[in-house]
Amino acid sequence: MSLAKPANLTREQVAQFEREVNAIRDGVMNNLGQADVDHMRNMVRISRASEIGGRALLHFGIGPLSWVAGVVALANAKILDNMEIGHNVMHGQYDWTGDPSLNSQTFEWDIACDGEQWRHSHNVMHHTYTNILGKDRDLGYSLLRLTDAQRWKPRHWFQPLANLMLAMGFQYGVGSHDLEIGRYKHGAMPKEEFKARLDRFLTKVGKVWFKDYLLFPALALWSAPRVLAGNFCANLIRNLWTYVIIFCGHFTEGVAIYHEEDCRNETRGDWYLRQLSGSSNLTGGRLFHIMSGHLSHQIEHHLFPDMPAHRYPQVAPKIEALCKKYGLFYNTGSLFKQYLTVMKRILTHTLPPRKLRA
Amino acid sequence: MTLTTAPRTPAPTSTRWAATLATPVRRALRHPWVESIVRESAVEDALQVLHPLLSLSMVRVKVVKILDETHSTKTFVLQPNTLWQGGLAGQFVTVQLEINGRREERVYSLSSRPGARRIAITVKRQIGGLVSSHLHDTVRVGDVFTISQAMGEFVLPAVLAPKILLLSAGSGITPVMAMLRDLRARRYQGDIVFLHVCRNTDDLIFSSALRTMALEYPELSLLLHQSDSAGRFTTLALQAAVPDLAERSTWLCGPSALMDMVHQYWRDAAIPQPLASERFVAFPILPTTSQGTPVAVQMVATGHQFVTEGNAPLLVQAERAGLTPKHGCRIGICRSCQCVKKTGTVENLTTGALSSAPNELIRLCISVARTDIALDL
Repeated sequence: MSLAKPANLTREQVAQFEREVNAIRDGVMNNLGQADVDHMRNMVRISRASEIGGRALLHFGIGPLSWVAGVVALANAKILDNMEIGHNVMHGQYDWTGDPSLNSQTFEWDIACDGEQWRHSHNVMHHTYTNILGKDRDLGYSLLRLTDAQRWKPRHWFQPLANLMLAMGFQYGVGSHDLEIGRYKHGAMPKEEFKARLDRFLTKVGKVWFKDYLLFPALALWSAPRVLAGNFCANLIRNLWTYVIIFCGHFTEGVAIYHEEDCRNETRGDWYLRQLSGSSNLTGGRLFHIMSGHLSHQIEHHLFPDMPAHRYPQVAPKIEALCKKYGLFYNTGSLFKQYLTVMKRILTHTLPPRKLRA
Repeated sequence: MTLTTAPRTPAPTSTRWAATLATPVRRALRHPWVESIVRESAVEDALQVLHPLLSLSMVRVKVVKILDETHSTKTFVLQPNTLWQGGLAGQFVTVQLEINGRREERVYSLSSRPGARRIAITVKRQIGGLVSSHLHDTVRVGDVFTISQAMGEFVLPAVLAPKILLLSAGSGITPVMAMLRDLRARRYQGDIVFLHVCRNTDDLIFSSALRTMALEYPELSLLLHQSDSAGRFTTLALQAAVPDLAERSTWLCGPSALMDMVHQYWRDAAIPQPLASERFVAFPILPTTSQGTPVAVQMVATGHQFVTEGNAPLLVQAERAGLTPKHGCRIGICRSCQCVKKTGTVENLTTGALSSAPNELIRLCISVARTDIALDL
């Protein structure tokens, strides 16, 4: 299951596949324009309006209904900011606009993950070495065992619990990811390096806590508990939603996992094939795609990480047709179905592998 | 020799309060802890909703009038917001426009008199020119865009020589026109020759303003060299038109070939008077060399420089030179090595696209230099 490699293609076929994927990419990238920027600015406006509305409802609303509405609006703002705006902007999808507020290298988002550390752990490590065991640290986030190729340890008995904790505090999981605690503990990272990374992470956590758990509650005076609880719940909703979407991107059934030696001397075509076989999509409508930051098109995102994400639905049918042509698996399904396979993998790999007969 | 002193028009002081007010707010917004609560871009956007000219950091201008100077040249009269600090005659501004989602920047000389409440830029339509065409075809009265503060060293000194030559050709007339307006406003009593080279009178920018000025300003002698009838403008034509050339402080702006010619003449004739000049080409496009030709790479921020060898991308070249630029994937995915290319041309190895315009973002790991370049690193 987990080491499902793409169908064996000849070198000539891989080269042809590369050319066809490039052509799909160029078809969009040569036609970027006002509509793309307008979409992103629209998302930014909606996110800001939603944040202002949500915070206003939490601060000045009366009764539980306005509290719920405030939480939903604030969660919506944070989800848009993290998924459709932050994640996509930080991939450089809007660098071509020259707009400094959409610049990938300086963008900072409303989450306990430092932008610069995210750019390293996600853009560099995960997107370059996608699904390579020991290289892509997103594979189970150094916490979960998702394939037989990962060695079982007694701590994996607690995997379902760890999974739940990660889901609820996903922003801290993502935020501390680039610390590479494992590497530090094994002595592979100098103490100063780790200290610098830890400081950066804690500073960012401090900033989001200051905002959501100190400043805004304090400004609310006697409504402080209402605001504090509302902010906490909005963050929790965002955590759960991002967790579900992201886990469905690479941990579903049928996603291929690679060894480092498989990926030596990779051509761009091989890289495309690895990205394709290492990702899985979610089906849904336009609103669902936007709320997932178009990570529902994880396959297209991994093929074209710097293409404005709202274009993925446009290229997806072409990629799917290409997969059919080359006999490749295009992994897609509903959120429910895909998440079920993720849970199945998490639970299956909780158990130690059955001993093989000598 | 007597020198004529004429006071420079001071920058408008009534608007200083705006900068005094905006600077601390802007500084506060850029504080990392404030930034994580409200982004500066959000504040800027909100201000723009209130009033399109409002800004904490940008000089925003409204187009109040568009004048047709010739069939291919228009003057845009602009009302700047209060952050505008004024400019000197001969200086230029960077105009920033968003065209089909992309931010484009071009440099235009101010053609207005310093100290004027409204400023003006005069733009000749370039064939195939993205920004000049956009200004001519799309920009309307009432539109708002962003410009930089005035920049440039091509200015009149506070103490003026008794004899002045303002020499221009084509659209090079714009900065010297501002100088002429400035001299007039400063009531300069010396002797001005304004010599302009153009094809014919249909091609003459500011024709009516110049005519009026020649009538009302006795110190000015206006000379026109029309190359359609008088032939190519040469040093002989220059000598014939301005016999006392060697006694005149000269300001020169025009196409490169003409400017080279005049500079050469200044050297050959060993003229003691200063010659100030400005090249107004949008940006120099150097002839691209073939891949692998050694070119010089300059890193502006750190002062490093090295010469490339072979076909390797810039990241590898920099590392060979002992530098350690920030990088990540090395295959053009993560953008960790992205930086601003100030000048020069690079080729994107994955798409084959050339980047020649100044201040474009490039990725070191997939770019090769095709001319001498300068990077903001």
